[in-house]
Amino acid sequence: MNKLKYLALLVLGLGILFPFTYLVLLSFSGEWFFPEVLPGYFGLKNWKEILNSESGMGLSFISSLGISLLVATLGTGTGFIWSKSIAYHSQKETWLVLAYFPYMLSPVVLAACLNFFFLKSGLSGTWQGVVLGQYLVAFPYSVIFFQAFWNHRTRQFEQLVLTLGGSSRQAFVQVILPLAKGMILVCFFQTFLISWFEYGLTALVGVGKVQTLTVKVFLYIKEANFYYGAIACCFLVWPPVLLLYLNKRFVYNRLV
Amino acid sequence: MFLEIKQLSKSFQNDLIVDRLSLSLDQYRTLSILGKSGCGKTTLLKLIAGLETADQGSIRVNGEDMTGKTPAERKIVYLYQEDLLFPHLTVRGNIGFGLKLQKIPASDIKEQVDLMIQRLELQGQGDKMPHQLSGGQRQRVSFGRAIITNPRLLLLDEPFGSLDVGTRQRMQELFKELTALYGITSLFVTHDLKEAILMGDDIGLMKKGSLQVYLDKQDFLLDPLTGVRSEIEFWESLLKPNY
Repeated sequence: MNKLKYLALLVLGLGILFPFTYLVLLSFSGEWFFPEVLPGYFGLKNWKEILNSESGMGLSFISSLGISLLVATLGTGTGFIWSKSIAYHSQKETWLVLAYFPYMLSPVVLAACLNFFFLKSGLSGTWQGVVLGQYLVAFPYSVIFFQAFWNHRTRQFEQLVLTLGGSSRQAFVQVILPLAKGMILVCFFQTFLISWFEYGLTALVGVGKVQTLTVKVFLYIKEANFYYGAIACCFLVWPPVLLLYLNKRFVYNRLV
Repeated sequence: MFLEIKQLSKSFQNDLIVDRLSLSLDQYRTLSILGKSGCGKTTLLKLIAGLETADQGSIRVNGEDMTGKTPAERKIVYLYQEDLLFPHLTVRGNIGFGLKLQKIPASDIKEQVDLMIQRLELQGQGDKMPHQLSGGQRQRVSFGRAIITNPRLLLLDEPFGSLDVGTRQRMQELFKELTALYGITSLFVTHDLKEAILMGDDIGLMKKGSLQVYLDKQDFLLDPLTGVRSEIEFWESLLKPNY
């Protein structure tokens, strides 16, 4: 029974690891045609080409990183503050239904609906437009995420600080922020991922001028260049894997 | 009178929770308020602390009108049933929290906190985190954190409700010692008959938003509404022989 369990876990582990490993292998491969089991070439050629050429992979990586960090910072920060107002509002349920709206529509449909405004405001095809578009998805996520934090006990902590002679600001800085630290980091990580992997909305608002990594991946796939696509995927997948590890190691373990 | 409340009322969505309540209390005394759940005890304390706004009536502390004053300006500390220790701070950090808010120099805070730790019989626990303490120890820290700020009035909302009988008894004694030592004026809310009698210098009964404060404990014991008579009869019936 134990052997069966071990085998099942092994298969599951390999199943999870396979796509990540396969991406790395594919990025080093070339001349791999059906029905060959192994690639005709295996080496650094693809990586050298893409790093030496003007493919813009490095720029895409920096764009993606910058946009995602900005969206995560803005989304988490403003979402945390607004979630408090919503949690204590008499019309809380109505506001929360509105917060779910971008997810009921899907981000790309939301972007299509708002495209006119992006065009009129001159934000279409700019990184600011992409940040705003992604923020419209990350912000409501953050608002919903923090609803669990603003509970009766948190309110009691705030009130206690007030009666101990503190101001609302002191309550926020000295008690609320330290209490919420773990959740803020998790939300930052989640909103970073929302932005990092976002494609439809980014392609629509960015109109090909803002080339994030996801846009780059789809570009290579459209060109049927799987090897370059795999390299772009490595850039896309491995930073979040690293973040996931750090998140699990330093944040999640302290929360549970 | 140190604390004077006149015709205080508060409603929530047409439910009258506190109904034209009046009371007065001398300085350095404790008024225990006995009442069942939902009688308006907590709302009364929150109105006094400034955490809720009264619909009508007035609250005066040492002659000063509290209307429009923020909770911080009132210098009235409200203690919840839960100890509400800040989980990110040590025992020392929790006790000195109110002093830190007042921007008192760190050396003074340390001195006062050390003394308070001794008085709370928490020697050697100062650097522990709240989750490392027992229920009674946590409640003691909570007390110390409130008393060290030297509040004008201390409001206690069933503070020993979650403690076992032995710890509860020890906490009641400690509370009496500390309030006498620091000269604290307090309102002590409880639904426990024995605790109400033990803790208060004065005693009141709260029902449906109204409060009746008794002249003395004898007056309280004789009123059939307080439940003292039926409690005595119950224990006497157990002692009576069956024949």
